[in-house]
Amino acid sequence: MRHKAVMLTGNAAAAWGARLARAEYIPAYPITPQTEIIETLTKWIQEGEMDAKLVQLESEHSMLTAAGTASLTGVRVFTATSSQGLLYGFEMLYNIAGWRAPLVLVNVSRALAAPISLEPDHNDVLAARDSGFIQLHAETCQEVLDFILLAYRVAEDRRVMLPAIVNMDGFYLSFTREPVKIREQDLVDEFLPHYSAVNPFRASRHVAKGSAVVGGHIYSYFKYHMHEALRRAHDVFIEAARSFSRKFGELYHPVSGYMLDDAEYVLVMSNSFATLGKHVVKLMRQRGVPAGLLKISMIRPFPAEEIANSLKGRKAVAVFDQNISLGLGGIIYNEVLGALYGCPKRPEIVLSVIGGVGGKWLSVEEMEKIFDELKRLERSGITKPRPLFLFRRDELTHIERVLKLAGTIEVSHHE
Amino acid sequence: MIEISGHNIIIALTIHYVDEPMLLKVRFHGRGGHGVKTASRILGEAAFNEGLYAQDSPIYGAERRGAPVAAFTRISDEEILERGFIFDPDIVVVMDETLLNDWSAKPLDGLKPGGIAFVNTTANSQLYDYGETIRENLVIYDLTGLALKIIGKPIISTPSAAAASKITGIISESSLIDAVTSELSEIGVGDDVIENNIILAREVFRSIPETPPSTKLSDSKRELIPLEVVISYPGYEDIVSVGNSPLRKTGNWRVFKPIVDFSRCTACGVCFVYCPDAAITLRSDGKPEIDYDNCKGCLICYRECPPRAISIEREVRVW
Ligand code: SF4
Ligand code: SF4
Repeated sequence: MRHKAVMLTGNAAAAWGARLARAEYIPAYPITPQTEIIETLTKWIQEGEMDAKLVQLESEHSMLTAAGTASLTGVRVFTATSSQGLLYGFEMLYNIAGWRAPLVLVNVSRALAAPISLEPDHNDVLAARDSGFIQLHAETCQEVLDFILLAYRVAEDRRVMLPAIVNMDGFYLSFTREPVKIREQDLVDEFLPHYSAVNPFRASRHVAKGSAVVGGHIYSYFKYHMHEALRRAHDVFIEAARSFSRKFGELYHPVSGYMLDDAEYVLVMSNSFATLGKHVVKLMRQRGVPAGLLKISMIRPFPAEEIANSLKGRKAVAVFDQNISLGLGGIIYNEVLGALYGCPKRPEIVLSVIGGVGGKWLSVEEMEKIFDELKRLERSGITKPRPLFLFRRDELTHIERVLKLAGTIEVSHHE
Repeated sequence: MIEISGHNIIIALTIHYVDEPMLLKVRFHGRGGHGVKTASRILGEAAFNEGLYAQDSPIYGAERRGAPVAAFTRISDEEILERGFIFDPDIVVVMDETLLNDWSAKPLDGLKPGGIAFVNTTANSQLYDYGETIRENLVIYDLTGLALKIIGKPIISTPSAAAASKITGIISESSLIDAVTSELSEIGVGDDVIENNIILAREVFRSIPETPPSTKLSDSKRELIPLEVVISYPGYEDIVSVGNSPLRKTGNWRVFKPIVDFSRCTACGVCFVYCPDAAITLRSDGKPEIDYDNCKGCLICYRECPPRAISIEREVRVW
């Protein structure tokens, strides 16, 4: 199958996802590192290769408002943003979900200011974790493309009818090219038939959406519905993924393992750094350490049961968070702990690892340290380990120099 | 030392053969405007054309001309389980020799024992000093000179990719040329310019010898430090010292150096007004003095000088 692949960035793969899904309306607003998606779509529309309407709005708030309302007319809507843009439009995320508008939003992860940065972590996309959006997080450029197709299929399913975010990391996917198979249009058309909306807005047809409710019980009623619909998205995804694999080969799962079957030490990861996790698992195996990796692709609905099943009976587990909930710690770590609580044969040692925040580069040594730490904890019998924050001496040396330039420290006698 | 068509190529040491499942990591260093990202993409595409797995990516901050930029290409015969920054390259391609001195770019950092350092330079004697630092195989070539001759501009994405392709020893000329064509047309380069780039690529590819690196895994270990040490430093993002910019000299961005002929200069002051970087001051006689530590070589003064009292010279000894 390799000969059918082409070299694509994650951004270009996202544009291909929207194109193959035959997205009809694309409200846009530029922000690094997402802009290339919109530029690519604009080029295709201009050259007549794609039949869609692309409108640049004056902010992400307007962009998401336009996206949600357009989706309610029954067109297939695609949009994309990053970081500050997602937060600027944040209010609308809850509205779009509440309106049950099944659009697809690609978020290209980028750390949130301040300090301002261009590189990725997941505090932006995880801020939206309670909004009612389905969240699929991609490890590779191929997954970016495929997850967009799957996201539409699940979002538009009548059992779900909720919007979806497909997340990719800035730089590590957005600007990174790797071989990607562009799916055949006729097969995509079969996989993803035309979207038909529930009570769409139409001229001279009576329908009100997003009405105000007076009384918490009415609010609760609809929220419970949304919660259940989002939970159903899990099984709908599995169904859709099977149908996807029959057409295209790849079989996707909400969680998947790498060298996991007989692994005693397991690293739990998501997004593009999971690739680095696999690399270090392979290295560990070469050294005779029974290491494995569990990748979480579906962040919402959270596949708690599958995670618990995959981790039960393991000697020690590390959960890698490329985010930091200030004052709490790793977000996914806490969710995984919740999934494990009360499960029989749950692992005694669950270590929280914080790394790659703000796109901090990870060396092999840092990834190896995670497994060294798991083995150390196991030997010493510590079951409530302190979180491991990845940082290197050479990085601190660089910071010393920057702090000196900034005038914040005088000399580098420190430590 | 081998001399080929006026361009010096020095190979300090050459060992052949690559072991293990192949993963070749190439790191490009240059400045904004050199075509660093495109170089990494051409190499990636060329390897992909060979039927290999490839991955290419750039890293940069707020984009601006002249700022140090790096880009990475990984090539393998199996799926690539790495991403992002290359810490331990097999090959580094230094597209601007002045970066060898840059404390933040650190182009030779982490080069594996047995790795290849390629440096774009006019090969003046000063590079021999770096021969001490670059203990690995060193290949040098004046890509900028050749680019100026063939395409008339100091854009060196194509020749850098050609040099890297040849050094790897696993990429054919035709795969390279296909990659040059597809990458340059994708970024909207016109057919005639692509033609010249192909000539340039062929010339470089044929001149540089195959020097496949035979690297060993680097035994240098990067030390981790605990959070307590990290947070023992000041935690505010404040900058309290003023006037940092003079610390970053921009003179080494120049490809050409403006030189004033004071016998023709009429002290009209036009160059002083036009210089966008305030690199020109006026002496008491009204004639200009150029601050070569910071003049970026934009050549606006050269174009604007009414009596054409400013000439230009290719910059070859910039540090
Ligand atoms: S070349 Fe440009 S930067 Fe240098 S002195 Fe002339 S105008 Fe100023
Ligand atoms: S523009 Fe030319 S003539 Fe006028 S001051 Fe500058 S160098 Fe002299």
